[in-house]
Amino acid sequence: MKAGIQTRLFFITTLVLGSCLTLAGYILDRSFKASVLTGAEQQLRLVTYSLMGVVDFVDGRVSLSAELPEPRLNQPESGLYASVQMRESVRAWRSPSALTSDVPFPEHVLAMEPGEFQFTEVTDAAAPFYYLSYAVIWGADDGTVLTFTVASETSAFERSMQDFRRNLLFGLTAVLLLFVAAQFLALRWGLSPLRQMADEVRQLEAGDREALSRVYPAELQGLAENLDRFVEHERRSRSRYRNALEDLAHSLKTPLAVVRNALSTANGSNNGSGSDLVREQLARMESTVHHQLSRAAVRGPVVVGSTVVLATLVERLVRALRTAYRDRSIDVSQRIDPELRVRGDEGDLMEIFGNLLENAFKYTGARITIQATRVAAGIEVCIDDDGPGIPEHLREDVLHRGIRADEVQPGQGIGLSVVAELVSLYSSTLSIDSSPLGGARIRLVLK
Amino acid sequence: MRVLIVEDEAALAGQLVAALRGAGFVVDSAKDGEEGFYFGEEYDYDAAIIDLGLPRLDGMGLIRKLRAAERNMPVLILTARGNWQDKVKGLEAGADDYLTKPFQMEELLARLNALIRRAAGYSSPVLEHGELKLDTAKKDVRLSGAPVDLTAYEYKVLEYLMLNPNRVVSKTELTDHLYEQDFDRDSNVIEVFVGRLRKKLDPLNPIRTVRGQGYRFFSDRDV
Repeated sequence: MKAGIQTRLFFITTLVLGSCLTLAGYILDRSFKASVLTGAEQQLRLVTYSLMGVVDFVDGRVSLSAELPEPRLNQPESGLYASVQMRESVRAWRSPSALTSDVPFPEHVLAMEPGEFQFTEVTDAAAPFYYLSYAVIWGADDGTVLTFTVASETSAFERSMQDFRRNLLFGLTAVLLLFVAAQFLALRWGLSPLRQMADEVRQLEAGDREALSRVYPAELQGLAENLDRFVEHERRSRSRYRNALEDLAHSLKTPLAVVRNALSTANGSNNGSGSDLVREQLARMESTVHHQLSRAAVRGPVVVGSTVVLATLVERLVRALRTAYRDRSIDVSQRIDPELRVRGDEGDLMEIFGNLLENAFKYTGARITIQATRVAAGIEVCIDDDGPGIPEHLREDVLHRGIRADEVQPGQGIGLSVVAELVSLYSSTLSIDSSPLGGARIRLVLK
Repeated sequence: MRVLIVEDEAALAGQLVAALRGAGFVVDSAKDGEEGFYFGEEYDYDAAIIDLGLPRLDGMGLIRKLRAAERNMPVLILTARGNWQDKVKGLEAGADDYLTKPFQMEELLARLNALIRRAAGYSSPVLEHGELKLDTAKKDVRLSGAPVDLTAYEYKVLEYLMLNPNRVVSKTELTDHLYEQDFDRDSNVIEVFVGRLRKKLDPLNPIRTVRGQGYRFFSDRDV
């Protein structure tokens, strides 16, 4: 079976949303990092300017004219360091904060053009730094170029970035989960008419409902109506077919009855063999017509079917048969679960059970039992009587070729063979056995 | 015994009428359900034979209408399709037995006799009253084992009275059930038949005259 619509929609939207959120997270992360770097550079620039305000350069030496404006530059290992270098001298001024630690101030900045800012990020070292260097011509007279470099440890910035990342991840995950939940609910709600329709079609199949309900959303309404029309059409064409068969039966059998009666009335005056031949052929026609019409009337298992309450069906037949066999006092006991339902066309099932029960009524002595039990293969129905039973060597013939086991009571052969055909159409089985009551046991296993 | 036949097929209806008349029944024949209902409501029948596939009002509907009008005569249905759904519905509508077309006329007569007998409360085809035995199948009457020689009409009178024991049966009822319609109702032929019957059944005298009302067959049977 293919994945359900709900699963498909759920899968694809979750996938798309997941990718979108990942991409959004990536972009946000990059932008945040860029803004952090810009912030760092800005901050270092301010430190540089304030440093330039207090630096004096006299006789090739850097000195401070006032207190350093940034207290962190005085505090050792504060994470903020500064240096002032000259092109000509390797020796440079370092801020007090850098005196106790070996801050690797870059050398290449000495080559910078005056007036140039350079921001460098060194992240691969054991202690990563941001550097901002600024070259300036100090004093108009001699053209000495001083390079100011301010270094800041990156850890504070890293921390804020990590915080941001954590928050971002948390936020995006929460959004994803919320969305997935909302999506799930929306799909359930949105697809519930489909589920309802599937349920109703199942009930329709089982015969628990006649038509679909009329409360579908616009998109499904057409389908529901078409389905109903189809079911109705099927029902109608079946009933048309049945009516046609009924007409056919009537118009074939009535003339047969007339001919037969005319023949037996004329029998007295007529001389023998000719009318015997006619009678024989007539009997063949009768049995063919009966047999073929019975077969044609079989509906068989149907797609949009019905289920029949077995106990009720059997009760109706028994009541009818009791009326017809009022002369005989027959004790019929029925042990069938009143809830037990059999799937199939009511007419077909009546044909099966009517013929079987009529046989039981015909041949029984005084008792008939009918019991139904659920078995692995379906439903097993046993019809027992205490009549003479059917001899073992005749059982197969009775079932499969419709040969009469007993010539005394006509009609039985055709009845049982039609039943056998019907039963096989329903992929069920019919067998004959000996009954504990002494007569025949007809065992029917309905799928 | 007066029987109503409702069958739309003229040829079959004709044969049924002929066969039933031949067997001593008084027969009315209707060719559709509405006509059948008219007859059934208008006259008193001992039995009816109704085809299920009738024009205007189908057999099932006819039976229901008759039963609703409290017409309780036994009904034998004839069905062409012979399927169980029809049989069960027919019996549920109020029919008493069914026969599938084509049928043997002998079987139809046997079923009809059995229905009439059953309706009178007899389960055996032989009606018994003390030493008097009337075999409805063989149309044979015996008194203390010896055959009683009856004419067809004498037999019919005796059978009708025995099927309606301990009930006053008027002369009109007897003529209605035993004679075709053109019978002269004023004649005293019934009295003559009853007189002859009494003589033939002597010393048993089960038929009493209820003055001004009719006859009554005394039976010790509870019906």
